[in-house]
Amino acid sequence: MPFNLDDLTAAEIASGVAQGSFTATEVAHAALAAIDAREGAIGAYLELTPELALAAAARIDEARSAGSALPPLAGVPLAVKDNMNLVGTHTTCASRMLETYESPYTATCVDRLLAAGCLPVGKANMDEFAFGSSTESSAFHRTNNPWDPARVPGGSSGGSAAAVAAGTATVSLGSDTGGSIRQPAAFCGVVGMKPTYGAVSRYGVTAFGSSLDQVGPFARSVRDVALVMGGLTAGGRDPLDGTSQDASADYLEHLEDGVEGGRVGIVPALMDAEGLAPEVRRTVEDAASRLEAAGAQLVEVSLDHLEAAIASYYVIGPAEAFSNLARFDGVRYGYQEPGAATLAEQSALSRAHGFGQEAKRRQILGAYLLSSGVYDRYYYAAQKARTMITRDYLAAFEQVDVILMPPSPHAAFKFGELADPTQMYLSDMYTISLNIAGNPGISVPTGLGADSGLPVGVQLQGPAFGDRKLLRFARAIERSFADGKKSVLPVAPGCAGKGGELA
Amino acid sequence: MRELAEVLEDWEAVIGLEIHTELTELDTKMFCGCKLSHDDEPNANVCPVCLGLPGALPVPNRRAIESIVKAGLATNCEIERRSMFYRKHYFYPDMAKNFQTTQGPVAFCMHGHLSLEVTGRGAAERPACAFGEAEAASLASASANAVGLSTQMGAGLPEGATSPAHRETMAAYDTDSLALPERHEDGGYTVPIRILRIHMEEDAAKMTHMGGEEGRITAASESLIDYNRCGTPLIELVTEPDLRTPEEARLFMEKLRRIFLTLGISDCSMEHGSMRCDGNVSLRRRGETALGTKTELKNLNSFKSLHDGLAYEICRQAEVLEEGGEIYQETRHWEPSRKRTVVMRVKETADDYRLFPDPDLAPFDLSDEFIEHCASELPELPDAKRDRFEADFGIKRADAEQIAGDPATAAFFERAAEGLAGKAAQVVANLIVNEMAGYLKAAGTTLEASGIAPAQVASLAKLLAEDAISSNQAHEVFEVMAHSGDDPEKIVDERGMRQVSDAGALQPIVDEVLANCPDQAQQYRDGNQKVIGFLVGQCMKASRGSGNPKLFNELLRESLS
Repeated sequence: MPFNLDDLTAAEIASGVAQGSFTATEVAHAALAAIDAREGAIGAYLELTPELALAAAARIDEARSAGSALPPLAGVPLAVKDNMNLVGTHTTCASRMLETYESPYTATCVDRLLAAGCLPVGKANMDEFAFGSSTESSAFHRTNNPWDPARVPGGSSGGSAAAVAAGTATVSLGSDTGGSIRQPAAFCGVVGMKPTYGAVSRYGVTAFGSSLDQVGPFARSVRDVALVMGGLTAGGRDPLDGTSQDASADYLEHLEDGVEGGRVGIVPALMDAEGLAPEVRRTVEDAASRLEAAGAQLVEVSLDHLEAAIASYYVIGPAEAFSNLARFDGVRYGYQEPGAATLAEQSALSRAHGFGQEAKRRQILGAYLLSSGVYDRYYYAAQKARTMITRDYLAAFEQVDVILMPPSPHAAFKFGELADPTQMYLSDMYTISLNIAGNPGISVPTGLGADSGLPVGVQLQGPAFGDRKLLRFARAIERSFADGKKSVLPVAPGCAGKGGELA
Repeated sequence: MRELAEVLEDWEAVIGLEIHTELTELDTKMFCGCKLSHDDEPNANVCPVCLGLPGALPVPNRRAIESIVKAGLATNCEIERRSMFYRKHYFYPDMAKNFQTTQGPVAFCMHGHLSLEVTGRGAAERPACAFGEAEAASLASASANAVGLSTQMGAGLPEGATSPAHRETMAAYDTDSLALPERHEDGGYTVPIRILRIHMEEDAAKMTHMGGEEGRITAASESLIDYNRCGTPLIELVTEPDLRTPEEARLFMEKLRRIFLTLGISDCSMEHGSMRCDGNVSLRRRGETALGTKTELKNLNSFKSLHDGLAYEICRQAEVLEEGGEIYQETRHWEPSRKRTVVMRVKETADDYRLFPDPDLAPFDLSDEFIEHCASELPELPDAKRDRFEADFGIKRADAEQIAGDPATAAFFERAAEGLAGKAAQVVANLIVNEMAGYLKAAGTTLEASGIAPAQVASLAKLLAEDAISSNQAHEVFEVMAHSGDDPEKIVDERGMRQVSDAGALQPIVDEVLANCPDQAQQYRDGNQKVIGFLVGQCMKASRGSGNPKLFNELLRESLS
């Protein structure tokens, strides 16, 4: 029986290539055929890179013929969020501002996955500069949720999540500033992890909120996410990122150890929060009882300052975004307004016409929040709240190993459904606090919602640099919902089987 | 306009300086690995970080932090264990990110001071009324206003960024070591100048505007940007407004330059802009405690400009105020050729730089070990070296000060004067301060590049001390020796310059001259002492310069008595 990429995990692809069951080039062609067949209905990519994928595959096949040991992700098709630099591609951040911008260097996270053997198949769509939770603010096109094309894939890493759910990439990279990996993972029924701040280098990833941004992987199984984490952290601390730390480890080592004797925190206030869909609540409760059944103890914990998280996030995030995006002025690169009479006019009009609505809204907000006179009231207060939220988490993790909660109040919504930006902001209520504290979190699918029929899942949050422990608990949840299958949910039905066969 | 001396009798000038120094002696930029260079092709030394490309991140240069800590230690600053980098936002293409990475309310170095010895003519700029009680009151009131006066941080910081703790530490100077100035008998005085802070930041790119008027961007047809300089480590020292005369400002700058040169952290070239100074100056009536409105002076890019620009501005402000006018808070440009300051821009409202802590750069926690390491690498500083030269070699304090201020010159002197003391050492000092400094300036070269060896100067000094040659001859020998690299002994012998100090050999010449000049001889006998100079000149001429003029003088007086 011929293989289909839809049925293969990253680990299986790598071992298949290593054992000679198929070549990396065959994998690349299969992935490109799947993209050909499925991408039209999804729109997960902003740029396809068949040449890069085939060239990477050829290098792996040559290495194998030469008898060299193959890297751990040899031949695994990879999608990269379009805010990450990769030489040979544009890095547009889904913005008109950078529509023609060519990556002059490669981001450390991408570089490390290429070194680990991944085949880069394309750059994934996203909310413009990662501002959004639905990928609707992309300046170029929308991305459909593979489980229901009338619905959003979530965001901002919507393209990265949709590519994996559609089976056009086996793994992908996203960035999470306020939930931008965990929420789209939940909407698309895949696993998505935000590692501890500092565990993965940010060098080469276009910054949104420097103190909040963290790069992380998407895959269809926890094991594949762990495998990618190994690749992202291999080599340790990145000397090019002053905030990075050495998080290199064997992320598979204790993955299957189970949760016997572990303590899982539940935050009652979050389970009773207004707007939490019953099907999401039920699946979180279900996951809790399955963890209990697997030998873990459930412990109620409180995160007292969580209500300050959204307000705090919408001060720190826009303030840093204003600063980080100030460089896009049309002088050196990016969109430049023609015919401007003065430098000031050129900068102002380039920014007015290069940025979309949400990007402008956040920058104007950030510029206001940092201005003298209001700095004390907002930025300073937000930093105080940040300290208190971080302390809450520290105290909670003295009692428990992980905290279990929803990744999002509801399953994927329809295009245009959340037209009011503040409504959109509120949908991040379960993810944002983690970016404020810097801790790791992971979104694990549990199945299809009883009411919506759409993917639903749970979120686990862990202590700082407890990334491996977090993966172990995530794997326990996955195992309890997967019924012996490799992953809880397969490639989305509308996509599965179209292309992707390995000759 | 009235003269400066007159103006300063009625008005007190309150002067503070902001001094930027590029750390040119480092290998790489502040936040990336790009080479530091002044003369490479434009945009040759750039990378994603210093070009501010999307995704690039800064990583601080450890050696730059060592340099600023050394600068702080050498200027009696407190080294702050914990400080941070901030982002200062403004839209201009010379800063590729449209923000400059600089420091916030707490800098690496806070609350230092330097003592200025003001001597000679410059000391007269401070009038007699500016000593004692009056000066104590003046310093106290300037200090109370210092937060408002330290222009850069005051203008840019949101209120929340200056913590109450920081405001309290404004009174944190080590006041024991800050004695009030007293005038010595010779007119000189010593005055302490407080240093508010020294902070670390990155330099901007260099912009060249083509086709516009006077190189300004207005009406330029195109503007060129060279990012080689962008990201160069820069330290900014801000003084308290403790300076009272242009001479003090000039001396402070000179002193600081000597210290930084000795530390080896910068080439300190005012000409090439690696050391730049802005001056803030305001006037108040003698005895007033409230500060007047200040102006900020730019383009003070030489010691002379610093002095003359401030002197002009003080006189200009006095004239405006005396005519009932008003001083506007503005930035003014010193035009050395026309000897005046002109308005560059008026600061109607404070710029809002939206400073906030740089999230890409973790706060620093400098360890005691790190600071001790920096302290252990401090060389002997100019003041200590001057005192040692004065004590050990017995040379004049002013010469010791000048020699000790330049590390290369000081090392040269120590080798040339090795084992010497008193008069012999002073002869070496004289040669270095006069002959050598003059030669290097005229030749447009540096001591290192000139190839002059300490042994040559030592040998020349010996010839002078033994009266083997005259000082005029020494001048000639120095030129030859500097060009040829020959030993002075050889030059003197080859040219037959050796000075004759044998009375027996010179007496016939004296006799001959007196015989030829009976009138002058008679004038001397009649009491005209001055005519002896003419007669010595005649003797020198007759001996074709080889006779010892002092001996001629003695022999003439004996013969005529």
